[in-house]
Amino acid sequence: MKDERIVGIAQMAICRAPERLACLGLGSCVAVILYDPSLRIAGIVHVLLPKAPANCPTDEKYADTGTRKLIKEMMAMGAAKERLVAKLVGGAQMFPSLNLSISDIGKANCQEVRNALREFGIVIVAEDVEGSRGRSAHLNSETGKVVVETAFSPTKTI
Amino acid sequence: MTEISQGRVIDIITEFANIGAGSAATALSSLLDVELMNDATTCDILPLSKVSDYLGGASQVVAGTYTYLCGDLKSGVLVVLPSDSAKALLEHLTKEHVDLSNLNKIQLSALKEVGNICLCWYLIAVSKMIDVDMIPAPPDATVDLLGAVMDIPLASVGAKVDTVIAVHTSFKALDRQFEGYFLMLPEESTLRLILDKMGEVE
Repeated sequence: MKDERIVGIAQMAICRAPERLACLGLGSCVAVILYDPSLRIAGIVHVLLPKAPANCPTDEKYADTGTRKLIKEMMAMGAAKERLVAKLVGGAQMFPSLNLSISDIGKANCQEVRNALREFGIVIVAEDVEGSRGRSAHLNSETGKVVVETAFSPTKTI
Repeated sequence: MTEISQGRVIDIITEFANIGAGSAATALSSLLDVELMNDATTCDILPLSKVSDYLGGASQVVAGTYTYLCGDLKSGVLVVLPSDSAKALLEHLTKEHVDLSNLNKIQLSALKEVGNICLCWYLIAVSKMIDVDMIPAPPDATVDLLGAVMDIPLASVGAKVDTVIAVHTSFKALDRQFEGYFLMLPEESTLRLILDKMGEVE
């Protein structure tokens, strides 16, 4: 897909239609996608870890602070909290037999995102999360639809 | 990394990488029972955010084996094989057709073993060189989008580290060229320990 802006790990991007955004190769990372359908403002934050430590300079790296920042910045651009809908992609467990505390961080990431969204009363209308496969998410800001690609399964639209 | 000159670090790590890669190649060659020629080993120090691009883009499909060192040296270690290299290695090893999208148990186990052997022999060489014990956790392997394979290694060090040591090795075997990447994501204290052992007193 051309003319897409790629949102890397610990990055955030907000756009207006017709610009498009994408996150490539999401493993345990989560793409938090917010959309205001009446203004057609779309935003993504690509978070890596669940909870930010105190005084952390990079809000976008963490699920809790990243989600809050995305909501606030989109509201600053005119999006209304009541209209915003959320979609989540990612949060997989890539190395399930690795016995590390971090190996199921994907689930923890999703949980923190859900908590942060709940604080603002934003509803998750669709998600493709967890499992053990990586995903890429392509966001169409005209419609708010998200195309999810995986390495070996057919693509789906949420 | 701030107080250490980056150029000098690359010199030391390259020395490291060459010895490690040579040792891994020898082990792999005896596992596969083929002649294996090491072509070139290059080494780079990258910020976390550039790693996907260095390896050829987040959406390409790769085979990744990951483990974590928990001895004196604390570091994530990831071996990445591009999908064509992984497929050829596995087909040679299992003597059957391999579909990376749907590996059976034996094939996945073989893939882990290839990763494990490369990884351990690399670490053995390095650990002898600097006289430090390295204790790797049992590895796990998967075949998926590169970006996704990178996530756990990044997450396990992401809070503390912003530097990745990337070693690229290419070797010839079975009449073709193989590529492999060896990524080390050391904690700051580990990087210091390595440099210290290599005689770089700060």
